[in-house]
Amino acid sequence: MTNELTNIVVEILPRFEGYVYPNEASAHPLWGFLIVLYPYITGLVAGAFIMASLVRVFKVKALEPVYRLSLLTALAFLLCATLPLLFHLGHPERCFEIMITPHFTSPMAMFGFVYAWYLMAVLLLELWFDYRQDFVKWSQTTAGFKGIIYRAFTLGVTDESDAAVRLDMKMGWILSIVGIPSAFLLHGYVGFIFGSIKANPWWGNVLMPIIFILSAVASGIALCVFNYMVLTWIRRHTVDMRCLDTMGMFLFYALVVDASVEALDWIHRIYSAEEGFNVIYYMAREKLFYTLSIGQAAIGTLLPLLLLGSLQLFRKHVPELVRRRMYFASASMMLLGVLAMRWNVVIGGQLFSKSLRGVMGYKLEFAGVEGWLMGMVLLGLPFVILTVFVKLFLSERLPSSGHEPHVNLPAAEKA
Amino acid sequence: MKRLHLPPQIVRLVLLTIGIVGSYLVARYFLTPPSFGEYGWYRGSALAELASRDQVYAGTKACDECHSEEYQKLLGNSHKTLSCEGCHGPSKAHADNPDVKPEILNYSHCVRCHEANPSRPKWHKQIVARDHYTGDRCTECHLPHQPSEAP
Repeated sequence: MTNELTNIVVEILPRFEGYVYPNEASAHPLWGFLIVLYPYITGLVAGAFIMASLVRVFKVKALEPVYRLSLLTALAFLLCATLPLLFHLGHPERCFEIMITPHFTSPMAMFGFVYAWYLMAVLLLELWFDYRQDFVKWSQTTAGFKGIIYRAFTLGVTDESDAAVRLDMKMGWILSIVGIPSAFLLHGYVGFIFGSIKANPWWGNVLMPIIFILSAVASGIALCVFNYMVLTWIRRHTVDMRCLDTMGMFLFYALVVDASVEALDWIHRIYSAEEGFNVIYYMAREKLFYTLSIGQAAIGTLLPLLLLGSLQLFRKHVPELVRRRMYFASASMMLLGVLAMRWNVVIGGQLFSKSLRGVMGYKLEFAGVEGWLMGMVLLGLPFVILTVFVKLFLSERLPSSGHEPHVNLPAAEKA
Repeated sequence: MKRLHLPPQIVRLVLLTIGIVGSYLVARYFLTPPSFGEYGWYRGSALAELASRDQVYAGTKACDECHSEEYQKLLGNSHKTLSCEGCHGPSKAHADNPDVKPEILNYSHCVRCHEANPSRPKWHKQIVARDHYTGDRCTECHLPHQPSEAP
């Protein structure tokens, strides 16, 4: 044991630059890649839910085709949101203790309440009210194991009267309205955890929860665009261009607001130039150059802004195929950019010494609990769950936004 | 008086909620450790459990009983503030029964304090171990009990 510890000192100290306290000599930051994935996944959940609420609360009819897909995406990712935290624990088998002895004064323990509220009281309920009629219909027509699942999901309520359907719709609407602040709470909470650490100049910032929420909305809408295009491609269906254009528009707006607030954060940091600024500036220029300047700023923000912005201006002059590719490229780049942003926040905040005069290093390993292989498995798992959800609950053709791309327009008008 | 008529969906959801919350409360009743909250937000019995663990460190006095010559050398030099077991490892078992040998040192514990680090004070002797010496026995040149003297 003694020798293991001292060997780390010989390995690690030469990798440090500048003034780093001896007790900061650890092989890896305490929070590794898994903790990067946790805010990324919860952000995708919150964003996908906001996307769905555009249909229910803000009555954006053009987005009707992706309403259910967005909610199912949010659910699939929410079910995996706690897994990175679980695998990060030294004793994952003790995870149930947070529920047995809930605590109200620790912000980290509060996540149990936030998560339970969002999953049980918002997302599952909204999905249940939205699907109830379908469950009743499918439970009568489907046999075998699938039929049993559908019958169980009806909870024994087979009432399809007008009054019952009206109640379902009203409850869905109420839950969507409750869901918007809840989605903000879910992800604002994650930003709050970082933003309230006042000893760390990279994290301790009141804008942090807002930046987290806005980037979450942008990444969630990007994920819905990605999932919608992949699903239509797998099913060989035609993409509903009215829906996709509208998603692209909201994606652009979300990105504009997100980029503005993040720029405001940087301008404020540069202008106020507080005591930690030198080390922050060094980090941005050297240690995080690829993930911050290239990943987050160029690939995640500027390129999608250009692509989506030009589509807002010249949409009518761009052929459908090119537009589809531009939306897909923008969404994929934004998904990568927001992942890079989470990396910059979580890893960046641990790469400099508490002395603010020295920096450490971090090399992402391949295997191992915090390795990128594990990360890819955890990022792939929600897509596997989503595939099962789509098979079970989205087997029918997605509803149309009212636009048929391949109908000859003059003929349709005559009809 | 009109009887309150709740829609069937709401009734089922209320029943489901009562079921979930009820089973949570039952699980909580049985799974919460009995001594939890006795002194604070932790198991009260954890204190007794920690106190009953076997000791692993003997303390410098125990070393002095048999190795007083080395200990006196140490006291006269700049390493005088170090505890014997800080370098030699936990040795309670060895102190209780001299036949049990303490941890064999490979001298890497020297660099725990002497590996170069700008955050250490300048008067503190520091080396970059890899450039300084490629062997693994610091004692070939240094005397840890009398660091200011040459062998």
